[in-house]
Amino acid sequence: MLKTLIEAFALISTWEVIIAMFAASVYGLVIGSLPGLSATMATALLVPVTFYLSPIAAIATIVAASSMAIFSGDIPGALLRIPGTPASAAYADEAYAMTRKGQAELALGAGVWFSAVGGIAGVLSLMILAPPLAEVALSFSTFEYFWLALLGLMCATLVARSSPVKAIAGMFLGLLVSCIGIENPGGVPRFTFGLTDLFGGIEPIPALVGVFAVAQVMRAMLTPEPPPLPRRKFGSIMAGQWKLTKKYHWQMTRGNIVGIIIGVLPGAGADMAAWVSYAMSKRFSKEPEKFGTGHVEGLVEAGASNNASIASGWVPSLLFGIPGDTIAAIAIGVLYMKGLNPGPTLFTEKASSMYAIYLMFIIANILMIPLGIAMIRVAAYILLAPRSTVMPIIMLCCAVGSFAIGNNMFGVVTVAAFGVIGYVMEANGYPVAAMVLGIVMGTMVEQAFVTSLIKSDGSILPFFERPVAAILAAMAIGALLWPVMVWVWRKVKPVRTAVATSR
Amino acid sequence: MRLPDSVTGSFLVALGAASAYGGYILPPVPGQPVGPNVFPLVIGIGLALCGLAIVFGIGHTFEEEEELIPLEDGQTAAAPPPQSKLYGLRALLPPALLLFYVIAADRLGFIITAALMVYVTSTALGAKWKLALPLAALSPFAIHLIFGKLLRVPLPAGLLPTPW
Repeated sequence: MLKTLIEAFALISTWEVIIAMFAASVYGLVIGSLPGLSATMATALLVPVTFYLSPIAAIATIVAASSMAIFSGDIPGALLRIPGTPASAAYADEAYAMTRKGQAELALGAGVWFSAVGGIAGVLSLMILAPPLAEVALSFSTFEYFWLALLGLMCATLVARSSPVKAIAGMFLGLLVSCIGIENPGGVPRFTFGLTDLFGGIEPIPALVGVFAVAQVMRAMLTPEPPPLPRRKFGSIMAGQWKLTKKYHWQMTRGNIVGIIIGVLPGAGADMAAWVSYAMSKRFSKEPEKFGTGHVEGLVEAGASNNASIASGWVPSLLFGIPGDTIAAIAIGVLYMKGLNPGPTLFTEKASSMYAIYLMFIIANILMIPLGIAMIRVAAYILLAPRSTVMPIIMLCCAVGSFAIGNNMFGVVTVAAFGVIGYVMEANGYPVAAMVLGIVMGTMVEQAFVTSLIKSDGSILPFFERPVAAILAAMAIGALLWPVMVWVWRKVKPVRTAVATSR
Repeated sequence: MRLPDSVTGSFLVALGAASAYGGYILPPVPGQPVGPNVFPLVIGIGLALCGLAIVFGIGHTFEEEEELIPLEDGQTAAAPPPQSKLYGLRALLPPALLLFYVIAADRLGFIITAALMVYVTSTALGAKWKLALPLAALSPFAIHLIFGKLLRVPLPAGLLPTPW
């Protein structure tokens, strides 16, 4: 163990990793703080850059940028009432109310401090949970993998803040996209329409950049510019945070635990963690009447929760290649690209790389405190940047970045096409995250499904015969059917009440 | 771009049917019960069923309407955008510019194509020429420096090669 740890230290203490991590941190802080540019988008735009880095430096940039962006989304939330990333949306009103009461420093300080604490709690969970789970996972056959992957896809639809049927449809769309190309069990061209560019299939990364970045630029074309930030001078950012930690230690712990649990669930990410934790904080608070008036309690719990979910979201990603959230989905792409194929064997064969990832998470969260404070101080200047200067550069990065992925123009066409698809889907209430999960996991789901069917000689029964497979199957099928069951229940209920009242 | 659920649902039914048919006509692997055809078939059927459910409004009650946050005092509201019929088409500008990049980059070169893209996007988002012009002149060089020089992405030189 000590030897592995020393090896991990050696892996991360190179200039390349240090510079990459620092630059990605600053980048994540800036992108996260700009309203409308999410942490997922920050990470997606970073992927082309990771091609040119060593595996550890590449993962370091993803870890640093995503952790920082989730925190810095709190800054415009507190100062402008516009959350920088969806994960900050849950408590943007509360933080803004504090700013109006003259407690901007306390709100932002709580953001940076409890985010860092939550992040570290998330890493600890990753360190503790992942190795024993990896041992269990080693006994999994393709049947279990199939149900697990399906359950991962279903979780994404369960937590979507939209119609579950639309989320399932989005997931199927993603799976359909993953069918394109010749990488299938028969090795025949599938849905390529004779286009050689489609033979290699649709890469997840240009699709992600399209639905998250281009679609956002498209939306900006139709929405009015957010109001400018009023100028203000900040006092000490960290003052009073220790007092808050002592006073709200239980809320902080609960936020961390909820964040970790939600992060581990495939498909549910930081946004969900923040919403659930904020709601829990209000529900169990001794002074619920203070919520909404500029009360720090909810900020403590939800701020800790969303950052905790970032690290724990890597548990299913590293173990099974099933992304915990959209950021982890991108990370999985990078892991595959860099030869660190996710799976339980990663923990035995590449243990030092695993430890390096843990260490990078811890460093990123420690680095968040000084860099976060600096960011809060310069936020006033960054937030002055008009959208008409930021969006064109984002679009240029989309074009160059997607070209860089395969050094061909087809990547740029893919980005443009998925921009339109993402925009139309979002406008009509279809969650794009579900589609993204479908694209990322499609190949894995098909492989597990077809291999299992070949093993069982076309029979469905063996899918339910092994005990773990049966439990996972019950959960996945339950998740698939519950929207229909709820719909039927709602249809039957009025009839029952009508009958009861007529009696 | 908000379409009625019946339209999007019907589209999904059609897409699902097409996918299932596409899977059905794929050649099987000799001596193997399942091949490349099974997955598209399953997905197609699933997609079509979801489309049908959406057409019939199943799950619609779960949808949450987006809350509009009212502006506080001290913040000035931006003027509401003019709502002509063609206004919605502005959203198509970014993908159109990306396709323009695909067609033009090799001939015009990265710098000129990128400058045009930046200028058009920036102006469309409301920037005055005093801002858009310097941005269009400088940002392509900055992006080229990062991607072309440092990360060695082969960006076409075209009519205007970069000094490095």
